[in-house]
Amino acid sequence: MNPEFQRNLWLDASPRRVIWAGVTVLLVYFAVALLSRDSGHSGDIFTGVGIAVFVACAVLWAGRAAGSSVLTEVAERTWDFQRLSALTAWDMTWGKLFGATFLATCAGLTGIVVYLLAAQPASPWLVILMLAVALLVQSVSFMAALVGVRKARAEGRVARPGGIIGGLIVGYFLLSSLAASNALKLGGLRPGFGWLGRQGLIEWWGVTIPAEVFWSISLLVFAGFALAGAWRLMRLELQMRSEPLVWPLFLLVLAAWVAGYRAGPIGHGASVAAAGMAMCLAAYVAAFVEPADRVAVRRFARLAVQGKASEAARIAPAPLFPLVFAAILTLISFGVPTEGFATVYSPAALLAFLVRDLGVIALFRFGPRPQRGDFGAVVALALLYGVGGIFGRVAGGPAGAAFFMPSGGEYAAFSVVSALVQAAIAWVLAAQRIRSPETSVSAPPSGPASAPA
Amino acid sequence: MSKPMIVVRDVVYDYPASRALHGVSFDVEAGTVLALVGPNGAGKTTLMRCVAALDAPLEGTISVAGLDTQEDPRGVHAAIGYLPDFFGLYDELSVRRALTYAARSRSVSEGDTPKAVEQAAARVQLTDRLDARAGELSRGLRQRLAIGQTIVHQPSVLLLDEPAAGLDPEARRSLSDLIVRLAGEGMTIVVSSHILAELEDYSTRMLMIREGRVAGGGVVAAGSGQSADAGFAVSFTDPPKDLRKRLEKLGLTVTRLEGAEAVVGAASGTADAEVLTLLVGAGLKVSAFQPARRTLEAAYLSEAGR
Repeated sequence: MNPEFQRNLWLDASPRRVIWAGVTVLLVYFAVALLSRDSGHSGDIFTGVGIAVFVACAVLWAGRAAGSSVLTEVAERTWDFQRLSALTAWDMTWGKLFGATFLATCAGLTGIVVYLLAAQPASPWLVILMLAVALLVQSVSFMAALVGVRKARAEGRVARPGGIIGGLIVGYFLLSSLAASNALKLGGLRPGFGWLGRQGLIEWWGVTIPAEVFWSISLLVFAGFALAGAWRLMRLELQMRSEPLVWPLFLLVLAAWVAGYRAGPIGHGASVAAAGMAMCLAAYVAAFVEPADRVAVRRFARLAVQGKASEAARIAPAPLFPLVFAAILTLISFGVPTEGFATVYSPAALLAFLVRDLGVIALFRFGPRPQRGDFGAVVALALLYGVGGIFGRVAGGPAGAAFFMPSGGEYAAFSVVSALVQAAIAWVLAAQRIRSPETSVSAPPSGPASAPA
Repeated sequence: MSKPMIVVRDVVYDYPASRALHGVSFDVEAGTVLALVGPNGAGKTTLMRCVAALDAPLEGTISVAGLDTQEDPRGVHAAIGYLPDFFGLYDELSVRRALTYAARSRSVSEGDTPKAVEQAAARVQLTDRLDARAGELSRGLRQRLAIGQTIVHQPSVLLLDEPAAGLDPEARRSLSDLIVRLAGEGMTIVVSSHILAELEDYSTRMLMIREGRVAGGGVVAAGSGQSADAGFAVSFTDPPKDLRKRLEKLGLTVTRLEGAEAVVGAASGTADAEVLTLLVGAGLKVSAFQPARRTLEAAYLSEAGR
């Protein structure tokens, strides 16, 4: 048996914990049976309770346990001992993920059994969807914990569960607000977000698919990527070198998945715009998720300058890949009509502002206090787009607004030039911080580590 | 000269805002007990983590047991045992399960694990505590368990970062005995500390790190490994007034002379008996004669003064 899985079972599924979990779940079902026996709808009630128990145990409890399986090691100073083991990265990943969540998942699976017995008729796709959601949440939680550990190490602090959960919540709200923006609406991503709860049929790349089938398969694919991402991060934690495969492959699948919504009668231009917007979002996410590790960036720059492309690619900053894909899609967009999108937002202007924003994010995250870098970068971007945009519009109308925000149509060129000038300033300042001279000897808890999964 | 077990070449390590190691180079021969000394913040822990392949240096190479830490970090992990200065244990596991996990996760086969666990427990004198929970152990016993976990797979190299910190005198003595035993079994051991006295009993070589650089003359003989090169401590009865001159006439180097006590050096390879015969033959009344032992502190101060 995988020793990591076994150790987690020793700790997580001790006889006392198994008995407590079993008794608690049985009491829940017993209480529901008592309360619903005269209602005449006990089947419907048990269907809902089965799903609720699954979500509570296999999604929420197990999700928390998956993240804790890494964070507890760091907090209790056993992480280095684990990193020095002879276990493979995959054994470490699945041993931790499935070992730490074993009890919670077993308790959750009783909910699936109850659902299958009570639902009339039970939907196999709903069962697959629930299992996919559980795997996705557990894998993302595990991956977020690894990201948190790496970010915290690069920033000279210790990862805390509260910080990681807070980061996920803030990230979710930022993404949601971006998703509600006009650019995403025009770019075709907003309907995609709206389809999360959609029933009936979904048209994707011209194929009509039942919504529950589409979402079950989609979530399984993304859960698989989350698991693969966790494995790649684990390899980095074990100091193993990895070719840049999973992250670029995920971006390609994401682009194709998003583009599929806008394909068909609307035309390819809309698909390209949607995929490009997805790459921009991925670049922003990657810029904040990547550890602010100046040493890794220096090492990458050194290898790139020396022409060691394959070695440099292994430690390339994660935002570089979506940026390259977004640039390729921008080039493609010149050859296909993007309908109303280009008149409002020039793809080239969007790309130029993305480069500027990545520079601003780098400038703040590689500052003297990297712990406050994420917050500082968000505030700076909000000021540039909010205050800058308003100031520009008041001072110079649409042309003034184009100075601070991506524009299209007749102001596109002005917007591109403005963004590139700002990007140059931001990147020059960021590069100075990345190259900043070494001062004195100090010894943070452990060293830096950074590279795309 | 035996083959180097650890080879460190031009290692540079940067933290985001500072350079911790500035081109560090040294070799550690197999079977050595190396005292890695230096003030707090000198870069000892960073160097140990790089040697343990837990962190990658910006520049330079490190080889442990013939394996490059950057090319084959997992091979290095399997070849070494590393106990960090602040370590944790799985408090809810019994000592037996903790050692079993350590063995299994370090590639000891399932069939060999019970024997490896028994051996490790015996080496750290925890055989009678195998069924106790790790969380119930005292500080000293926890230290022993932690070391037991790091040696359960019989590593060829053991790295101990400030292992005696927080231990009472009895536990320190026990740790010292353990290190001597492990060294006697052929293990190459690197022990870091800024308290020289605790390294005195078992270290055979010393490497001083100051401000991220190798200070003094690199890896030098020290502690229990110093005796052969440090000369001989001699006590005389009724020493003549021209004692120094007479000793020098015999071809001996007088390192120290205070009253009737002297420390003399002889040509490399000269046996103890030859020197004693020489002294007695010259009519000097020798009341005590033994190989001189330069303390680690003396070695440290001597190297620091270079």
